[in-house]
Amino acid sequence: MDKAFVQRRRRDLILAAFLAAIAAAVPFFVKDVYVQNIMVLTLMYAALSQSWNILSGYCGQISLGHALYFGLGAYTTAILFTKFGVLPWFGMLAGGLISAVIAMALGYPCFRLGGHYFVIATIVIAEITLLLFQNWDFAGAALGIDIPVRRDSWLTFQFTRSKLPYFYFALALACVAWFVTWWLEDSKWGYWWRAVKDNPLAAESLGVDVFNSKMGAAALSAFLVAIGGSFYAQFVSYIDPESVMGFQFSLLMALPAVLGGIGTLWGPMLGAVILIPLTELTRSYIGGSGRGVDLIVYGGLIIAISLARPQGLVSLFSRKPKPVVQPAREAVAS
Amino acid sequence: MTALLETRNITQRFSGLTANSDVSISVGRGEIVGLIGPNGAGKSTLFNLIAGAFKPTEGQILFDGEDVTALPAAERCQRGIGRTFQVVKSFESMTVIENVIVGSLVRTTNMRDARRKAHEVLAFCGLDARADVLASDLVPSEKRRLEVARALATEPKLLLLDEVLTGLTPVESQKGVELVRRVRDTGITVLMVEHVMEIVMPLVDRAIVLDLGKVLIEGKPTDVVRDPKVISAYLGDRHAVGA
Repeated sequence: MDKAFVQRRRRDLILAAFLAAIAAAVPFFVKDVYVQNIMVLTLMYAALSQSWNILSGYCGQISLGHALYFGLGAYTTAILFTKFGVLPWFGMLAGGLISAVIAMALGYPCFRLGGHYFVIATIVIAEITLLLFQNWDFAGAALGIDIPVRRDSWLTFQFTRSKLPYFYFALALACVAWFVTWWLEDSKWGYWWRAVKDNPLAAESLGVDVFNSKMGAAALSAFLVAIGGSFYAQFVSYIDPESVMGFQFSLLMALPAVLGGIGTLWGPMLGAVILIPLTELTRSYIGGSGRGVDLIVYGGLIIAISLARPQGLVSLFSRKPKPVVQPAREAVAS
Repeated sequence: MTALLETRNITQRFSGLTANSDVSISVGRGEIVGLIGPNGAGKSTLFNLIAGAFKPTEGQILFDGEDVTALPAAERCQRGIGRTFQVVKSFESMTVIENVIVGSLVRTTNMRDARRKAHEVLAFCGLDARADVLASDLVPSEKRRLEVARALATEPKLLLLDEVLTGLTPVESQKGVELVRRVRDTGITVLMVEHVMEIVMPLVDRAIVLDLGKVLIEGKPTDVVRDPKVISAYLGDRHAVGA
């Protein structure tokens, strides 16, 4: 029964394992530190975008404030490490849990808001939190937190000589985010989220707990994004409010998913692989002159893709839907 | 045996407009009951109150011996009230089978079971050939059947059908009538809102006529259609003379 469906699920999993294996091998051939840096960022944004996609893509609650959770993850890890000597691994978990709880606390009032108002609320809340951190002396206020560099070690997750540990962590994170999505796609949650996105009223009539579906998606999405934020804090070893909670992070999480295909399994990955290197390359090669040529190219590309492929680039790979021939042979008596 | 569904003195006001006034009806197990009446009679309001879309201003709704007046729609579905929408509300970005799986997940969290159940229901509704088509690609009559399939997947005791037979071609509506009969034959009670009298009347066991928010009359369809009050409600007083 439903062989095609089972095959498609399995094919996705095999393809993912294959791509992950290729990605894992790339650093053996690419030794350039600058390129490696771009690869780390690409994988990180792929993971972030995949996580954002859970709430905004599958469940349809568009958030443009996910920088909040990214920043919370980064700050929790950095504060726990510098002030209390807590290892980043625990800080990562703590940051994730704090973000998940805050996502639900914010979701409680915000999920009652419809459509655009929800989006605006997410932006505003992230901006307010940014201001709070800029004025919070304990967290270093606007100056931020300098994470003291110690010996290279997996224990403290600090590496100054090589980017490879970061690369493999980011790869693992992207794989986890993808796998969680893959797994949930064929679960009660996955179906509930998509039903809530398409038509909350109909979903409710079919026994879907609309409110808790949104809460679950928000918590999971925030948790994973915060892990990304914790990672980023260790990766750059210096954070300040603007550099981990700025609006650009919210955008850079949303854009890959939107360009790749919002609410799809592969969209965020594909979008990140195209968009993030492009962002970095345009910035270093044609940016910097102060004229913003890089941003023009970048913006132009986004417009071009949106016009040509509004469903996202991932739709280029999907089989063409069968043309609607005879609608279910209406005339044949059942 | 107690009725499966009972409304007691339901009144619903919408800021000045009284859509339902003191409506008490009951639906027995295994019946097909038609809820009919001219436009603006309050059929849809009553229907939505039973499904739990909103709470009545006054009155009680009892289902299967339990007061469900305060329960939200999702919990009523879990207790066995399934519904369709007058304006179809398919999950457009999902395939037909996925639409139905959402319904079957009320009774199981095992995905294999949910999928098997969804296929069964689609076969029952004559839609299984379209299982992998996007809901947005269905023609209107198929969307109606998808609504029914989705509701059936929740394994309801009571199925509320909101004008599923309206606006169909004669062939389609005949197939719809057969589907409703087969649904009842599986032991599901059906309460249907319709205003196309000639389709509903041969199908239902009992008809309840609403007019101006009140129950005008209820009884066997053959008696109801001859009642002067019904004729005057539908056609105006002039036509009731001599009926």
